[in-house]
Amino acid sequence: MKPPAKTAASILPYLWAAIFIVVVWQLVVVFTKAHVALLPPPLLAAETFAHLVATGELFVHVGASLGRVVSAWVLSALVAIPLGLAMGRWRRFEHLVDPVIELFRPISPLAWIPLAILWFGIGETGKIFIIFIATFFPILLNTVSGVKGVDPVLIRAGQVLGCETDQALFRKVILPAAMPTIVVGLRISFGTGWAAIIAAELVAAQVGLGYLIADGMEILRSDLVLVGMVAIGILGVAIDAVFRIVNDRYSWGG
Amino acid sequence: MTETTVPMNTKGISIHELGVTFTPEGSEPVEALRPTSMEIEPGEFIALVGPSGCGKSTLLNVLAGFIKPSVGRALVGGDPITKPNIDHGMVFQDYALFPWLNVIDNVAFGLERQGMALAERHDRAREFLEMVGLKDFADKRVNELSGGMKQRVAIARVFATDPSIILMDEPFGALDALTRRFLQHQLLDIWQRNRKTVVFVTHSVQEAIYLASRVIVMTARPGRVKLDQTVDLAHPRDFASAEFREYEKIIYDQLDEELAKTFKLEGGQGMFHD
Repeated sequence: MKPPAKTAASILPYLWAAIFIVVVWQLVVVFTKAHVALLPPPLLAAETFAHLVATGELFVHVGASLGRVVSAWVLSALVAIPLGLAMGRWRRFEHLVDPVIELFRPISPLAWIPLAILWFGIGETGKIFIIFIATFFPILLNTVSGVKGVDPVLIRAGQVLGCETDQALFRKVILPAAMPTIVVGLRISFGTGWAAIIAAELVAAQVGLGYLIADGMEILRSDLVLVGMVAIGILGVAIDAVFRIVNDRYSWGG
Repeated sequence: MTETTVPMNTKGISIHELGVTFTPEGSEPVEALRPTSMEIEPGEFIALVGPSGCGKSTLLNVLAGFIKPSVGRALVGGDPITKPNIDHGMVFQDYALFPWLNVIDNVAFGLERQGMALAERHDRAREFLEMVGLKDFADKRVNELSGGMKQRVAIARVFATDPSIILMDEPFGALDALTRRFLQHQLLDIWQRNRKTVVFVTHSVQEAIYLASRVIVMTARPGRVKLDQTVDLAHPRDFASAEFREYEKIIYDQLDEELAKTFKLEGGQGMFHD
């Protein structure tokens, strides 16, 4: 565990960044004399933030968005990790599947939103579908490169130490050796999923941070929009911090 | 000191006209090892020396079951080598420890595969860690160890599984001279307590004479046996003794001819001088 002083030191840069953003924001408000419906001063946004926290409304939105991302991300991992392991292990299988993957990969998950709405309507399924696509490729590609990147000498060592079947070798050597790279993929994909959920909710939702932002725009409440954006930023950093801790545990200390 | 008796589970190695030719995709076949024969008695410590690319590592990889010979065959205790096997242990130049396991679980890895229960395999792993002087490091992560310590863990790991032969591919090649000396001493110590048939590939003539009961010098590519020299000196051997120097001279005389060939092959001019 990190000592408290070290934790404080790692938070400090974020604090400076936050102060910098607030100062610039305030300056823009002062100099452009922006209408409050277009750009509220930081203080008003902070009040709205506090209000939404006090009423618990913010947590409902956060909970809805997080719930969607987590369930789609788990689903994605359940498909992408086994597929990636197979692709990394069997070259022939990879040659077969890889072109399909490469054709789909450049298509932004956002481009799937119209089809998702047509196919699944505006319910939960459509959003989970979008996040599934957004999280799928980082997990898959990292799993494949994790398996392919296993040091061949470790595989040989496993073979002369009693892993005689492919299955034993896989379970005892290849999977643990690939684990750090897979965890990196999980971390990256949570980030891409988190970015995509907002877009999915902007289009069609009754609850969620994306909905909060879209609704704020429609009723000309830019303070709500900003609260939604701030919440996304803070949560994004917090989630990544959690992943970094998990990462450290799997990275064997350099 | 007197040689200990060879335990039952130690086996000899028979190599009959064994040759390896690689055919890289889209290019000419390369003969790495010219058909070679060799008999290794149970409990012998063989050192293989030769110029780079002479096929000594190729031979070791055939004995480990990693590559199939193109011609001939190799037998361990009368059985042909078909694939990698826990009974044919190996120590690699770059240690090949599993970084996700701590020191003791690295040593216990093979024991687990042999079906030994946790408490029992940890006991045995500790016993072998003690032999290499690393008992206090049992719970450390592999990446906290120095190169020399990693190789000692790897040596404990291979001896713990009690294989009938142990193959060592330049195990001390990446270590500094002092660490190397210390590890040679330790290897000899653990080998005298667990008399295994060892095939040890090295570039160092001194190391070969210090450790081995027989030194085999291989020719430049394609490799075959050039000299098969029994080292008839009691352990511990003294680098500075006249007898040791005599063996060095015999081996260097043979080796220098091959080095000169390699040198010419690589475009060098004139004679090779030491």
